[in-house]
Amino acid sequence: MKKTPKGMLFLAKAAKYLFMIFFTLIAVAPILWAAVSSFKTYAEINSSALSWPSAFRLDNYRAAFQYAPIAKYFLNSIIIVGCSVLVTVALVAMCAYIISRFRFRLKTVIVLLISASLMLPAQAISQPLFAIFQKLQIFDTKPGLVIVYSAMGIPMSFFVMVSYYKTISPALEESAYIDGASFLQAFTSIILPLAKPGLVTIALLQFINTWNEFYFALMLTSGDTARTVPIALNYYMGTFANNYSALFAAVVMTVLPTIVLFIVLQRQVVESLTAGAVKG
Amino acid sequence: MKIKNKGLWITLFTAPCMLLFALVYAAPIVTVAYTSLCNYTTFSPPEFTGLKNFVTIFGDRDFLVSIRNTLLWVLLQAGFHVTLGLIMALVLRRKPMGWQVVRTAYMIPNIIPTAATGVMFTLLLNPSFGVVKPLWEKLGFDTGQVPNLFGNSRYAFWTVTFTWILYSGFNTIIFLAEMGAIDKEVYEAARVDGAKPWQIDRYITLPLMKNIYGTCVTLASVAMVSQFDIIYMTTKGGPGNSTLNLPIYLYKTASLENNYGKANAVGVIQIVIGISLVLLIQRLFMAKAGEEDGK
Repeated sequence: MKKTPKGMLFLAKAAKYLFMIFFTLIAVAPILWAAVSSFKTYAEINSSALSWPSAFRLDNYRAAFQYAPIAKYFLNSIIIVGCSVLVTVALVAMCAYIISRFRFRLKTVIVLLISASLMLPAQAISQPLFAIFQKLQIFDTKPGLVIVYSAMGIPMSFFVMVSYYKTISPALEESAYIDGASFLQAFTSIILPLAKPGLVTIALLQFINTWNEFYFALMLTSGDTARTVPIALNYYMGTFANNYSALFAAVVMTVLPTIVLFIVLQRQVVESLTAGAVKG
Repeated sequence: MKIKNKGLWITLFTAPCMLLFALVYAAPIVTVAYTSLCNYTTFSPPEFTGLKNFVTIFGDRDFLVSIRNTLLWVLLQAGFHVTLGLIMALVLRRKPMGWQVVRTAYMIPNIIPTAATGVMFTLLLNPSFGVVKPLWEKLGFDTGQVPNLFGNSRYAFWTVTFTWILYSGFNTIIFLAEMGAIDKEVYEAARVDGAKPWQIDRYITLPLMKNIYGTCVTLASVAMVSQFDIIYMTTKGGPGNSTLNLPIYLYKTASLENNYGKANAVGVIQIVIGISLVLLIQRLFMAKAGEEDGK
């Protein structure tokens, strides 16, 4: 076995760490720059992009709250995302269970439909949805967005859940049936408790995807009643056009909760995203 | 196993899911397919006109540019972006010092709202108060001509590309998860036989990543066919048509022109391109994986 020269080993190691440092910086520097700038005054932002603020003022944050009902947008997001998580998890928990356990006539059709929708580009169906929602009078309402988000969460969650149910042995239900349990009893008292980790996975997956959703929020809302956090950013771009120091504060407030939540729940989030990608 | 009212339960458990599906997917898709063949605007209800909308869009230079840009972005993302995620995973796999910090930090751009990424880059690269000006000065260039990276059609395409192509943390965690599932004994055997680290990666890890590579390429391509948020927040497809892609073109046709028939014709093309790409990629990677098994 030939030995690699020491110099080469050192170079390889240096290159590896440079690579790691470069991409860490590329990932966090824009966010850190925005965070630092959010404490600067308007004049400081204009005079130099790479200086520290002279003092840590919260004026920009105060201004951001004054110009836009940021707290309301957060509340909207929490309500809409929360409801869509509940709806998706409930519907998928039932539907995926049937698909994983039983054979019936329309089964292939259902699976085919759901897997086809996985590759559907969302924008393509947005105009008809807009028209349907206006007709049903749920345009620019929270229930409207909940309906779209719940439906959009189904395909990926469905496949994650089907493969999860398949890991639960059918022998458990069979013995319950022998003991005289009904279908509903077997499902709610035996299957659901065992499926909890799978349900947590799809709930988190659905939360991440809908919390960041932008396009349908743009197409299907027009005012403050249902405006979510990502779409509020679009509104700030217009409102804060001449006061971009407040825009810095608004962006930081938008990304901070997501980053904190991600760091706290990292293991779970990574697990959910991986499951969604691999099984979906 | 005998279950009472089995058919009824199957219906009750699948119906809600399917109803929601019919409302949000099925009805719109049928409408898109039909109204793409109609003259249909805000003021006139759908009226059948055959392939007129398709003739119109294929005669529009902006539409052709938006197809070209979409496909170019798919190619860049499927090739460079996914490979970058794989390289990062190979680096982090051996758990070098600080690997957890790098993994977390590199994932952050993929977890924050894409609209926020758009706003941040708009601020960061603003020619008057962003970081371009001081860097430009440090390099000794004329301060009167700080480049407007989003606002100049010469740079806009690559500037927009830059906002997403380097952020491959999502792919990295998928590759890392897959690498973690490889049998440790295979590596041990290779090490005993005297394989060098790069040989282990080249002959063991990479071949085993083939299927998951196909998955990542598929996800990246689908994401690019429907890439909207960042472009909308930064350039809105401009300047001119330099950063126009299918979703932006569709949005403009539907919301600004209010020409729904034409927008839905674009939607049909977008769906066709999206599904063809997925099938093509699957064939490409499945075939390769099959050959591998046959050896």
